[in-house]
Amino acid sequence: MGALWILYRQRLRRDRWQVIVWVLSIGALALFAVAAIAKTFGDDATRAQVLQLATAAPAILVLRGLPRGPALDSFTFFEIFSFLGVLAGLMNTFMAVRHTRAEEESGRAELISATAAGRWAPLGATVLHGIVANALVAVATALGFMAGGLDPAGSLVAGFATGAVGFAFLGVGLLASEFFSTSRGANGISSALVMLAYLLRGFGDATGQVSPDGTTMTAAWPSWISPIGWGQQTFAYTGNRWWPLLLPLALWAVCTAVVVALMARRDVGASVLAGRSGRADARPWLRGSFSLALRLQQGAIMGWCIGGLATGLLTGSLGSAIQSSITSNPQITAVLRGMIEAQGTSMTQLLVAALFEVAGILAAACGLQAVLRLRQEEVAGTAEPVVSESVGRIRWLGSFLGLGTVSVVLVMAFTALGAWVSLVASGDTSNAVGDVWQTAVDQLPAALIYLALPAAVFVVWPRATIPAGWALLGVGVVLGIYGGMLGLDQTLRDLSPFTHSPVTTSTGTDWSGGFWMLGIAAVITAFSLVAVRRREVGTA
Amino acid sequence: MDTVIQTVDLHKNFGRVKALDGLDLEVHKGEIHGFLGPNGAGKTTTLRILLGLARPSSGSASVLGLHPWADAVELHRRVASIPGDVSLWPNLSGGEAIDLLSRLRDGAVDQATYRERKRHLCELFDFDPGKKGRAYSKGNRQKVALISALVMDAELYLLDEPTSGLDPLMEAVFTREIRRIVHENGATVLLSSHILSEVEQLADRVSIIRAGRIVDGGTLDALRHLTRTEISFAQDSVDTHALDTLSQVHDLTVADGRVKFGADSDRVHEVLPLLGSLGVKGLLVAPPSLEELFLRHYGDTVAPPAPQVADDGGTHHRRHRAGAGA
Repeated sequence: MGALWILYRQRLRRDRWQVIVWVLSIGALALFAVAAIAKTFGDDATRAQVLQLATAAPAILVLRGLPRGPALDSFTFFEIFSFLGVLAGLMNTFMAVRHTRAEEESGRAELISATAAGRWAPLGATVLHGIVANALVAVATALGFMAGGLDPAGSLVAGFATGAVGFAFLGVGLLASEFFSTSRGANGISSALVMLAYLLRGFGDATGQVSPDGTTMTAAWPSWISPIGWGQQTFAYTGNRWWPLLLPLALWAVCTAVVVALMARRDVGASVLAGRSGRADARPWLRGSFSLALRLQQGAIMGWCIGGLATGLLTGSLGSAIQSSITSNPQITAVLRGMIEAQGTSMTQLLVAALFEVAGILAAACGLQAVLRLRQEEVAGTAEPVVSESVGRIRWLGSFLGLGTVSVVLVMAFTALGAWVSLVASGDTSNAVGDVWQTAVDQLPAALIYLALPAAVFVVWPRATIPAGWALLGVGVVLGIYGGMLGLDQTLRDLSPFTHSPVTTSTGTDWSGGFWMLGIAAVITAFSLVAVRRREVGTA
Repeated sequence: MDTVIQTVDLHKNFGRVKALDGLDLEVHKGEIHGFLGPNGAGKTTTLRILLGLARPSSGSASVLGLHPWADAVELHRRVASIPGDVSLWPNLSGGEAIDLLSRLRDGAVDQATYRERKRHLCELFDFDPGKKGRAYSKGNRQKVALISALVMDAELYLLDEPTSGLDPLMEAVFTREIRRIVHENGATVLLSSHILSEVEQLADRVSIIRAGRIVDGGTLDALRHLTRTEISFAQDSVDTHALDTLSQVHDLTVADGRVKFGADSDRVHEVLPLLGSLGVKGLLVAPPSLEELFLRHYGDTVAPPAPQVADDGGTHHRRHRAGAGA
């Protein structure tokens, strides 16, 4: 018990700021969502209209949730819960990996396990840390909703649903840590599972059963295999069901039981999937800083490309599923046709635009990782031998930025490929099929900003590189992708690169925002490349 | 004599790689036991098994009468260890890390005495505990592990290359501290190393590991008997013919104006009268070193393992020497 408590306190000590930032961001987002939605969609009639629109064009639902009536509280839950679930999920997978696999990988677990703490206290302390952090998330979310004036009972349900989703992903993160020998691998797979949970429930929500008035939906089965979907099934404010939260708790319990069974047998530091042994000789192409960057990032790039491909493939399959559910309801078809034709946009284009926004985030994250790798290399001390060879610092930075650009393009190419293949396979013959390539290119400028900006941080304020990089991406996503749905002020939304991504419609594309962003990215990059000459390479 | 560590026919496989291949190790109470071997011989794997951090594939190990894997927690209360590679938490200071590890080893740290000893050790090792983990050099990270291991009494110390990264001054401090804990507290130390001088200075007995099994072992004195003392003197115009005929003299060479030969260490005194009668000048007598012993076992790096590896029945043959284990 003593060791458990000491290790728990050590986790708090290490994570105090991270936990505070996560919890406050999630709580603040809840509060913010209520306030903004109440302002933008003031009365039930407006909200009912929005919901009818969404159920008629379910592509929108992928990024939101399951409509459960037009009241302000249930409407807010519909708009924001799945995103809160993603945040809680990521907080937990990172937390689980940081205190298990990352510790074993670095050898620090060895120091701890050689004390009376033994093998189990670190796991117990991590779980305790997760319980407390998720309880804080639950309370902060509930308080955020309550402070926004929503019904307290429903807010509690919504809050604990967020916490429970997070807790399920704590188990997922712990399990991933058993399988991978590196924290990078464990983090990669468990964040991918969070995104999969998000997309699965998006798929289930979008293909669900619509009520006659078009403001309520019953999710299809894919939502039932997603922890975020389980959270939605509480029907906070309208049903206030607690029992669906047993599902995420059960998932956590199953994951943790498997973890315990594996840990009882394995050595400290070992993993189920053993790290493969490497090559005895370097490949001929490994001969410079760019190829080194590629060699270091190849696994990550492959992962993000698979994510892009999956998102693309979803477009076509979702498109055909939605088409069939819409055409079965003539009333909705009429509403939809009127709406879409007026904007000169097809259903497929709407879907492509929505899903490619998500793919754009993936591409930006993939590029961002190339820049963050620079900092990781520097801290690990592996940058020094490279820079002390014939590689100048400008070329060193330039290589990683170049690789980042390549990986951004690759992720979007795979997304477009997936969308194109699945749309053609689904028998779609509209112009939208050809437009996927253009839409993919549309996402590039915003993603390039996420190469340039973190690189500047890396040059000017190295220690902030990694937190600032992810924070910039997170803020950009909230403001740019979710800003509209949250009804945020346009000046705020304009701060996000994603807001300025060109949008391809059947009437063409306005690339002025895109060119501006390319210009800004070029200027910032030029600055970084010049300034890096004046910067020391060190580990502190 | 009490046995503190005993392993019998210990095997550990990583896939097809045999890290340990029938290791029999015995460490007695109150001794400093040197565990010698080159990189990859299985030293760290052995120590990890003794700490219960890894499970042997087969064979048995007992430490302080406990089963390392099953009784890990109880064992760790009585054992202090230093891992081969020390890594610290980037945003925890060195002092915090020391406190954390000490509290984990023994929840009831006597505050005043503990703080005094910690302060004393930080001073001895010239260590600044106030810096963040990411800012320490390798040697300073090593000091965190050293201080954590030494700050509280333990019955057994398992040290995996404890002085790697330390400067000679700090090595001397370490040597003194290890001697102190053994003499004052009767502690037992298993010291894995490939730094021969360190083992030579500290160890009472050594075990030499090669390719996962013990190939030689015994007290340092006993081992020394098996090595040759190197003797050399200025050639001048000494007639070395008489020397050549002595059975105690081996490999006599004349080079760079000096005569060199090896003599059986326990028979050096039989050679000295002759040297005296020859009236040699610039006489140098180099005592046998572990290095020579080491080179005898590993010098021929490409040579296949000793023949006993062939009989895989686990009856591994250990070359006992006169006086070994006494």
